[in-house]
Amino acid sequence: MSVAKHGPQPVRRPGEAGEPAASDAPGVRPDAAELAGLLDLVDQAVVVCDQAGKLRWCNAPAWRLLPGLRLGEAPTGPLGRAAARGDKLFEAEVEGRELSGRRVERDSLWGVGGHAWLVRDESGDRERLLSQAAQGTRSEFLAEAGRTLCASLHPGRTVRAVVKTAVPALADTAAVFLPIDGTWSAWHRAGPDQASGRFTVAEAEEAPLVARALRGLLTRPERCGRRDLTGLADALAPWRDDDGEALVVTLPGVGAPSGVLVLARGSGRPAFDAADTDLAEEFAARAGMALAAAALYTEQADAASAMHEELVPDALPRIPGVHLAAAYRPAHEGLQLSGDFYHVRPSAVGGGADFVFGDVCGSGVEAAVIGGRVRRSLRTLAAVESQPVPVLHRLNELLLEDSTATFATMVFGSARPAENGGLDVLVAGGGHLPPLVLRTNGRVEDVDIGGTLVGALPEAEFEQATVHLAPGELMLLYSDGITEARGGPTEQEMYGEHRLIRDLATCAGMPAGAVAERVDLLLGQWLAGRPHDDLAVLVIQAPPAQPAATPALRSERAEPVDGRPR
Amino acid sequence: MTAEPAESAEPAEPVGGTDVTDVTDDARTAFDQCLAQADEAAATTLVLDLLDRGVSAEDLLLDLIAPAQAAVGARWAANEWNVAQEHAATYVSDRAVSALAVATRAVRDGRGSVVLACPDGEWHSLPARVVSEVLRLRGFRVHFLGSSVPTAHLVSYLHQHDSDLMAMSCMLAARLPRAYRAVEACRLVGVPVLAGGSGFGPEGVWARSLGASMYAPTARAAADILLRRWPPPLTGHPTLDHLADGEYAELSGRRGAALDAMVRQVTSRISPLGELTEESHDLVVENLGFLMDNLSAAVFVDDARVFTAFLDFTVDMMTARGIPPASLLLAVQALTQPLHDLPRTMGHVTVGRERLERPDTVPEIADEDRGSGAVP
Repeated sequence: MSVAKHGPQPVRRPGEAGEPAASDAPGVRPDAAELAGLLDLVDQAVVVCDQAGKLRWCNAPAWRLLPGLRLGEAPTGPLGRAAARGDKLFEAEVEGRELSGRRVERDSLWGVGGHAWLVRDESGDRERLLSQAAQGTRSEFLAEAGRTLCASLHPGRTVRAVVKTAVPALADTAAVFLPIDGTWSAWHRAGPDQASGRFTVAEAEEAPLVARALRGLLTRPERCGRRDLTGLADALAPWRDDDGEALVVTLPGVGAPSGVLVLARGSGRPAFDAADTDLAEEFAARAGMALAAAALYTEQADAASAMHEELVPDALPRIPGVHLAAAYRPAHEGLQLSGDFYHVRPSAVGGGADFVFGDVCGSGVEAAVIGGRVRRSLRTLAAVESQPVPVLHRLNELLLEDSTATFATMVFGSARPAENGGLDVLVAGGGHLPPLVLRTNGRVEDVDIGGTLVGALPEAEFEQATVHLAPGELMLLYSDGITEARGGPTEQEMYGEHRLIRDLATCAGMPAGAVAERVDLLLGQWLAGRPHDDLAVLVIQAPPAQPAATPALRSERAEPVDGRPR
Repeated sequence: MTAEPAESAEPAEPVGGTDVTDVTDDARTAFDQCLAQADEAAATTLVLDLLDRGVSAEDLLLDLIAPAQAAVGARWAANEWNVAQEHAATYVSDRAVSALAVATRAVRDGRGSVVLACPDGEWHSLPARVVSEVLRLRGFRVHFLGSSVPTAHLVSYLHQHDSDLMAMSCMLAARLPRAYRAVEACRLVGVPVLAGGSGFGPEGVWARSLGASMYAPTARAAADILLRRWPPPLTGHPTLDHLADGEYAELSGRRGAALDAMVRQVTSRISPLGELTEESHDLVVENLGFLMDNLSAAVFVDDARVFTAFLDFTVDMMTARGIPPASLLLAVQALTQPLHDLPRTMGHVTVGRERLERPDTVPEIADEDRGSGAVP
């Protein structure tokens, strides 16, 4: 029970009818003086007036909040005016305080009646509300910062986002100094003049707080002036105010700091208070984590892309007398790795090309790793054995010995310029789909080689076949992802060998590159954006008779510029 | 045959224009000849020869290869060339661009880096390649990711490389929804997008809808804009509030059903007695699938012009091939049943149907269906 609620009670006469009061409670019966003393502890002003409106009593807060009260006289000022108007409620600003109160009638006062004003100082509440609003702004700022900072995994873009987000919410100029690895490092700045640059260890030493923070020895944000940061004046160039103030904040990282944030304010702006420091620290926690994540991602992406080179098909070589083209579309588009593989190289003897085209069971990284291993093994085996069938037997043994390896299907062979023009193609098979041959007249033939899977059985059987390609004719090798691509009207129908044959027939007279591109395009349309298995095609074409000279260009598909087939 | 418009590198580039070009009519005729014969060797020899004789690489790209390629598209649309010829010619043009790229060394003047891509499902790489070479020649570092780039691939590229700008080439308005994914991904990462290509609509109106920062109608315009405004500003905001009605998502879910309704209607009319050959059937499905993609894109950007432009193009293409366009109207009419409860979609369908009902294109269609679609 609140004493304040019963403000005028102490002047109530004992035994008088009224609300039950603390004084009615058994055991304690404070006298009037004690009650008055208790009322002085209340945070409301209690002003008691008689019937004539004269002040008869008031508690201590009343003297403080309403200066000018005199006992025996009617209150003056805003309270007096409210009383004169007969208002029941009172609201006024007195000496910078927001006061509000209400008038309570007490008929029983002194037997004749009177009234009391209960007046509350609302300024404290308002400050609390304002600070809640500020708190709301802070959480919004931090939420927005979180969104901005986690949008990128690129270190440069992330650090620029950090400094840009800090201005103007936290500072007029903000700079991040990145960890020193060696003798120098980089800084990024936002503010009136966005820029980036380098700083040396020696320069950092002339900004001791920053140097300490970079070593991970600054645990809390610290304030300093411009003169404390002279070594890094370039980075903070737009901040020229000697009376301004900076806050140096460590950006936490994984193990070591991921950088140091310097927030600089001109003298026109309030100095950093405790709330600012807390906010800066919370912001730094998010910024530091974003920078650490970007650094980690970059490290891993670099490692992955180094390995990636090993796992994707090499660019097709330029080989006189053989036109080559390929299309390659892994199931995992983000990773760009596939269980389909191919490799073509100039023949060591007799001109022309040696090639392999295959499909490792499975897809993704694991399949790509095995595909890479198969390609390397074949390269080694081909160096000691020139006939395709014995090479396939050796490879079969190798894959069987390798406990991690799965099996693969492949076509392995060579294309050599024929004496009377065109190409003689020798293909040996290990359970792969038959290569298709496109003749000059638009007829499509399949070359059934047969053979068993490579790496599946100890008693494997491999066979070979030879095909002559007249000038302009070509052989298409493809993976089962092509014919098994599901799409079309029902979105579930397989593309099928018959469609591939039909579409290939329309490619008579096209250069190898255009054929590979066209098959890729038709598959893309068939799939209409749906998921698919690994897709790959390799086209081997006898140069058309008419243009005698082979242009001095890669005959592979043009894009992309990094030289990798897609 | 496919319903997609053929490649044209520079659809909005005025032929000749105010720029003086060193590309002669003789050179143009010779290059056209190379494309007609799909003669890669002759084409590359020709452009390299012209380069040796002092014709600028930019002129060769924009005043020789691009217009020749536009003519290839026109020949295909007019049914003078089959799709294989068109494709082979495009390939040869592409090789000619590569030959120029290898033969020219651009001055690197630290202008910053541009990553260039076509949205997922957009296979017209030649216009993008031409733009990429023009920007390279003007001093930008350019990385061309290729045609039909999955957004996941683009995003991982952006996380690994500090590109200042993404240039997106899109020739087909049907790919706008997928282009939006790429544009939005770039905006999130903080990379501005320069959009270009006829797919973004008249004066790039849909580039703005998707929230691209900039739009350039031609390769030259793209280079000029970037030289003027570098670093490029991260501006633009998608104006796709209409998507809140959920119709685009609903329409995507009903693609199969709507396609099926159209295919049944059209095939029963074309071949009421017997089965179509699989090839004809596939062709009908492919073209009507593309019609659905265009309708979806119209709903996505809330502009019926995406749909009507596609219908106009298809009518011309069918007419050139001696196919009565009446079947197209039948197909559009067949959409009413499966989509009748999507008012905004039906609004676009109705605009498309009325376009086809013009008496000069489809005189024999009765009026009974007119107005049966629920117009919002």
